[in-house]
Amino acid sequence: MNKTTAEILNKYETYFSASHHVVLKNRGHAIVEDHREGDCIYDLDGKRYIDCISSLSIHNLGRRPAAIVEELCKAIQETDQGNFPMISEEKATLAEKISRFVPANLECTVFSVIRGESIDFACKLARGATGRKELLSVDGSWFGQTGFAMSLSDRKDREIYGPLIPNIGQLPFGDIEAARKMITKNTAAVFIEPVQAENNCRQAGREYLQSLRKFCAKKGALLILDETQSGMGRTGKKFAFEESGIMPDVLVIGEALGAGMFPIAATVFTQRLNKFMNAHPMIHLSTFGGSDLGCRVAQKALEEYERLKPWDNAARSGKKLREGLETLRNSHPNMIQSLDGRGLLLSMDMGTADTALAFCRAAAEKGLLVCPGDVARCSVVFRPSLLISEETVVGILQAVSDALAVMSYGFSK
Amino acid sequence: MSQNEKKHIVQVFSRHINSGQVKYLKAGHLDVLETQRQSVRFIDPVSGRVMIDCFTSAGCFNVGRGNPVIKKAMAEALETLDMGTSTLISVHKIALAERLASIAPADLNKVLFASGGGDAIDCAIKLARGATRRSHIISTVKAYHGHTGFALSANGKEHYRKYCEPLMPQFSFVPFNDMEAIRRAVTDDTAAIIIEPVQGEAGIFVAKEEYLRGLRHLCDERNIILIFDEVQTGFGRTGKFFACEHFGVTPDILAMAKSIGGGIFPNGAVLYRDRDILTDFVCRNPQFHPTYTGGSDLGCFISLKVIDYIMDNNLPVRAAVNGRKLKDALEKLRLENPKIIREVRGIGMMVGIEYIHEFLGPMMSDALAKNGIFAAYSGNAPQVMRFMLPIALPAAKIPGVLKLLNSERVQTVVFNWIRSVEDFFSRFNRKQRSSI
Repeated sequence: MNKTTAEILNKYETYFSASHHVVLKNRGHAIVEDHREGDCIYDLDGKRYIDCISSLSIHNLGRRPAAIVEELCKAIQETDQGNFPMISEEKATLAEKISRFVPANLECTVFSVIRGESIDFACKLARGATGRKELLSVDGSWFGQTGFAMSLSDRKDREIYGPLIPNIGQLPFGDIEAARKMITKNTAAVFIEPVQAENNCRQAGREYLQSLRKFCAKKGALLILDETQSGMGRTGKKFAFEESGIMPDVLVIGEALGAGMFPIAATVFTQRLNKFMNAHPMIHLSTFGGSDLGCRVAQKALEEYERLKPWDNAARSGKKLREGLETLRNSHPNMIQSLDGRGLLLSMDMGTADTALAFCRAAAEKGLLVCPGDVARCSVVFRPSLLISEETVVGILQAVSDALAVMSYGFSK
Repeated sequence: MSQNEKKHIVQVFSRHINSGQVKYLKAGHLDVLETQRQSVRFIDPVSGRVMIDCFTSAGCFNVGRGNPVIKKAMAEALETLDMGTSTLISVHKIALAERLASIAPADLNKVLFASGGGDAIDCAIKLARGATRRSHIISTVKAYHGHTGFALSANGKEHYRKYCEPLMPQFSFVPFNDMEAIRRAVTDDTAAIIIEPVQGEAGIFVAKEEYLRGLRHLCDERNIILIFDEVQTGFGRTGKFFACEHFGVTPDILAMAKSIGGGIFPNGAVLYRDRDILTDFVCRNPQFHPTYTGGSDLGCFISLKVIDYIMDNNLPVRAAVNGRKLKDALEKLRLENPKIIREVRGIGMMVGIEYIHEFLGPMMSDALAKNGIFAAYSGNAPQVMRFMLPIALPAAKIPGVLKLLNSERVQTVVFNWIRSVEDFFSRFNRKQRSSI
């Protein structure tokens, strides 16, 4: 570790906390992120790492995608974030482009800057539009840090923040009979991630999603899909729910909308639901959400998503990565308990949280950055750029293999 | 831009974003588009009219719109950076944290990042509840803290809350600047008092010094966390870098956003005092509120330049001096029009005019917009119009802008408007009389 890195880490302890530093150390991530390009980042010492964090599925088009960087450079010269309550061409054009990017009946957009804000708005929309109070999610969910999002999440430490949003319930994941009973005429909405990225990439099956859709429709509840992690091509389709053939009432598109260059996320929904927002405008505001600069960046990002169709590469490369990991699992059955996920959203269950961290450390040493899941701490999640090259896939597998070998010999503790 | 082009934009906005918002904006003649954003103004592309921006996205453009220094910094940042990885650290994140700690008053030297105002407030309340293991939060009537779950629960106006309820339990509301009321509201379960040192959306109410000192004292006495929401008041707006510096009162937690992004790049931060109760909680729970897009590398790079710019150009002093001139000019108008304007309030470049009736706010927005001044009435108090111009009026531009805002422009606008109101009332009165 060079002197500057040590100084920066010291300051991290001073201004944040010693435990913040420990979190990094435990993952082997006590490095300073410096140069970044494409599939990789470099630390201050110039050591290269394959980025399989992608800032939690933000950098779907890789680090610093040239077209997006160029567009932001241009936009800066032409405009600024704008006055948030105002009509703007940037906002209107982006909202229209989003409506064309997603399935047809999801026509309306409310912008935000983070997933949590998008979810919080979705909760408010659900209650407002249905006139009902009850919000349901499933166990193993993780929606973000803001008030509603946290209240809906399966979070161990939730009781330390006092009483949270009332009228929130949890369906047992995958249990169709329980869903049939628990979704009632009091239910405003059911929230689910088609792939629970933080929970060992557990997938909601086709039959389960179809059942939820059916029960929600029958009882007049909304089905709200959070595709922050699984959407924008990550699972090998534009959106993960497409495989189930259902249509949500509300879709949360995460920060991948800004392609890692600008904070922007969106909640998209039907005209039918927007009747409520049209009748009650200005009850939900976001100063930074829908910034005109962000809208310019996201417009270009959508063009790039459409041009590059990164979901194709996610499907192809994801398959190779998955196959490679399966092979490694077979050779290390004691270490890798199971594999789940699809496309380039994959997870290995390492059995315990400590083993997962030990793996992250060993992998970092071998030039691969991966994080444990927030819900299933025993899992290690792979979410690289959707545009990764074949060579990088080979590099990831090599690093995983090397890390497992080091762990088997007990060298990296 | 032609009327038709604008019409198309408005149609697309109505269809894909919100048609109610369009109607709302049209009612106050605020349905203008903003082009050529520069310094204190933008241009309505349809009429070609120069509009002085007195709203500044509720205080986001402290350094001025399209500030060339900040734009240049952004261009420089874009040569090497992106948002970075939220779970990793970088030189830029640490540099901003260090700088924030160094400029913040007293021992407010611990840092957390947030993606914006609401997220910062959610973080602050989680910190207070988690650290104290108590639940009760006291906020103020008409307070505005944001739209995420905790922030919304602390909003003191029914309008934003009613369709979203039930919200977080154990939030209560007391009148602003009323020490006795807050004393009565405190219980053994009170975790925090959250307050804006100058209430913005509520209609520009400046906290009294003895009130904030009283809150500090009460919080010390009862081990309650004092949270200041400086999302609008921070970054020089009120004549000091943070408004709390006026009062010599240091909150335990201070939330900031808006102008930290220089009008360009979203960012936010929460500072807290290095007190055992708070520091220990964060140490035990370092990941209690990680931010995913706040504290990004690009954001931190820009925020640091924004702080440099504000400090190097002594902007808080400019805000104080120019704000005083503006307030005096508006006060003069009030004296001349006591039946229209009830009060002029404010501190620094955060000034509000309160009219005698709620409906005058939207009417005044309309009249001003027609005359090249973009000013919005307060969401939580439509009878109050806020003047929150960029505080970075370049020195050479000050006389010109003040001239616009002072005698010539504002007075002409206001007088024309008063005349129209008088006409309206006289017609109304005639009608009333004739109907009797």
